[in-house]
Amino acid sequence: MGGKVSCTLGEVKNRADLIIYWGGNPAECHPRHFTKYTIMQKGKFVPNGRKGRTMVLVDIRETPSVKAADIFLQVNPSKDFEAITALRAIVKGQRVDPALIEETGLKLEQLQDLADRMKRCKFGVIFFGMGLSMTRGKHMNSASVLTLAAEMNAFTKFVAMPMRGHGNVAGADMVLRWTTGYPFGVNLCRGFPRFNPGEFSTVDMLVRGDIDAAFVLGADPGATMPQPGIDTLARVPTIVLDPKVTHTSRLARVHITTAPTGISSPGTVYRMDEVPLPLRPALKSPYPSDEEIVRRIAEAVSKKPPWLPGALVAASEVA
Amino acid sequence: MLRITGGKVYDPAHGIHGVVKDICIADGKVVADVQGGRTIDATGMFVFPGGVDIHTHVAGAALNFARALTPENQRAATKFLHTADRRMGIGGPTPTTFATGYLYAGMGYTTVVEAAVPVLSAKHTHEELRDTPIVDKACCLLMANNELVLDLLETGEYERAKDVVAWMISAAKVYGVKAVNPGGVTAWKWGKDAKQVHEPVLGYNKVTPGVIVSNLARICDELGLPHPMHLHCNNLGTPGNVVTTLETMKMLEGSRAHMAHLQFHSYGGDDWHNMRSESVQLAEYFNAHPNLTCDAGAVLFGNAVTITADGPWQHLLYQLTGRKWGNLDVENETGCGIVPYTYKGSNLVNAVQWAVGLELLLLIDDPWRIFLTTDHPNGACFWRYPEIIHLLMNADFRRERVRALPEAALSRIVLADLDREYTLTEIAIITSAGPARALGMKNKGHLGIGADADLAIYNEKPDGELLFRYPRYVIKAGELAVEEGEIRTLSDGHEFVVQPRYNADIESYLRDRFQEQYTISFENYPVDLERVHGLQMAECSYQKTT
Repeated sequence: MGGKVSCTLGEVKNRADLIIYWGGNPAECHPRHFTKYTIMQKGKFVPNGRKGRTMVLVDIRETPSVKAADIFLQVNPSKDFEAITALRAIVKGQRVDPALIEETGLKLEQLQDLADRMKRCKFGVIFFGMGLSMTRGKHMNSASVLTLAAEMNAFTKFVAMPMRGHGNVAGADMVLRWTTGYPFGVNLCRGFPRFNPGEFSTVDMLVRGDIDAAFVLGADPGATMPQPGIDTLARVPTIVLDPKVTHTSRLARVHITTAPTGISSPGTVYRMDEVPLPLRPALKSPYPSDEEIVRRIAEAVSKKPPWLPGALVAASEVA
Repeated sequence: MLRITGGKVYDPAHGIHGVVKDICIADGKVVADVQGGRTIDATGMFVFPGGVDIHTHVAGAALNFARALTPENQRAATKFLHTADRRMGIGGPTPTTFATGYLYAGMGYTTVVEAAVPVLSAKHTHEELRDTPIVDKACCLLMANNELVLDLLETGEYERAKDVVAWMISAAKVYGVKAVNPGGVTAWKWGKDAKQVHEPVLGYNKVTPGVIVSNLARICDELGLPHPMHLHCNNLGTPGNVVTTLETMKMLEGSRAHMAHLQFHSYGGDDWHNMRSESVQLAEYFNAHPNLTCDAGAVLFGNAVTITADGPWQHLLYQLTGRKWGNLDVENETGCGIVPYTYKGSNLVNAVQWAVGLELLLLIDDPWRIFLTTDHPNGACFWRYPEIIHLLMNADFRRERVRALPEAALSRIVLADLDREYTLTEIAIITSAGPARALGMKNKGHLGIGADADLAIYNEKPDGELLFRYPRYVIKAGELAVEEGEIRTLSDGHEFVVQPRYNADIESYLRDRFQEQYTISFENYPVDLERVHGLQMAECSYQKTT
């Protein structure tokens, strides 16, 4: 089994001599990644910076990130899982069916060369993007790449990290974990947390129409969800908190304009490596923060009588 | 105001052993007398100072990583329903923060020490502690693999290293210093380990694990920290590691030190097939060296999750078990590894581990120097402490359990030969008075005038497990927190923090190194004092007696 073998970005900066991006386009999607954390930085143990590091890019098409890479491996669309599995086998010295390798669009020599480089490096890292985690195979692809990184530690130091983005998604994940025990896809309807991605994930709940109200904070599902999910948002009372009017606002019953977090209201943001950073507002905003709105709604709701007879009554009130 | 009357009081710090007397409480403190207010009739009950857990893992980036990695445990665990008095949550080996507070308080524990915090994610740890209700909290900061410190020890700049440690403690808003696998986690950054106490750490010429521990222990003493260096030795969990542990203890003569989860460091043999208990040898050395305290890190059979900053050990455990493995190396500071683990009574190694924890608790004579822990959730979950108490209090029951072990285990352990049975006073010491004293928390672990009014009141029961599992009342800061298993308070508890002095010049020294080696701004590194919820500043007033 795999798990997740990772590090904070400073470890990559200080040590990594082999940097693999798989299914991502950092040049356009994480434009500061190269310069702040990976190939361009001089590190404590990589004093020559770019010259001391090898960058490999694996993707289904040529993107602007290719220019930055030393080696570009073009894999056939939807064949990442096969390519990673073949690579895992080659790393372990197992024979791989040439027909399987051909399917991936890569050559055995290319995979063998990559496996050799991975074993030879002192500190290797694989950053994997949505081209891996959100295409055919989805979490199976992520699991296989994480397992590859874990297994590489039998030979040398190796880590893997998802290229997360979309604002503070890592922070939401962290808070859910310590409050509910689960990172996402959590359902609280029974008064305690239950977890089942595919059943309780937002998209599934919306598409099935299993909800009778929606509260949208710092996201725009009206722009990205499948049509049946958008239809649900339009059908039920939807409340949106956002600094600007979004696609979701247009189909919501209520839109509350809030101060942009990090620009006009303080908070904490988690980096993709789960390092917390304080946000200090640079500007003033006439609008309230998300936190204030949520707190005021929670206060108002707590004054309402319990909706279920016998539920949520303070033990002290019973006595 | 509150008066507890009629109960048999166990307050070992004041030599009170089962004496019927009143305890009076006002403004969260124990006082001489009160007029009016509520009276709790504790006739037929035992009154203990609230439990103090000196070593546990309940909050922070590593634990939160473990939660995400083991949803199957959460699924199987006890659920906490949301009520008007209580937040929802989940128990199990890695409980949610609210459940952690309820579970500890529900067992009569009122103070807990989160044993492993990196500076880089200290902000996050404090966020979780803020959401851990009822109990008081403190943290230990991971220092023994901090490259800024190790680089200074390499060049022999002790004074500057001391300033760096002091600055880091102040920046992270913590209570003490933790050393985990000194040098080994640094070596793990290249996939290696540090196995010899006197051999240089990978990447260094002069710095050895021995140099790191002796210097850090001295730094903690000279900074006057209320709690000594809290040490997780090299070679945790491996056969024959008693040699390492003894060599390390020798390096600490002349300093204070707390040896964490000693059970995991007390093995003989040279591989998994001939691993045996070395508790006798270790206890003998330990008994003769009063500069040391320790906690048991006992193991119970069942499901656990191993969580430690000891990265190389976790890689080995992953290879041994084939189960999933989480690893998070923290730049310049430390690492973290997570592997789910099941201790089985039928497994020879696990049987030895189970016995060693109990043997140490029975062989170390001074209960003021060994404390009850399971290194939660590494050896077992903290809410299983009452099972260990029962094993300690009843030798017949213990022997019965020894007989259930595999035949081959019996020649490798000495547990069956030990007749000692813990008294209630000794239980009060190893669960409360002792750890409070070792932590330098003067108002905890006792019921004298001026003490924090943290108490656990138990109904008299036939065995230790039943007795300690369900307190009749738990009082925290003078407030009724738990009554017959029901949470009765919404209070948050305090967090203890120290701010040792350092030379102000150290900041400019650190700033330069920081720009080179870190990926966040120096200004974003320290935790703001306002982020510590329920702040209780403790003094750095320890002075070495000669």
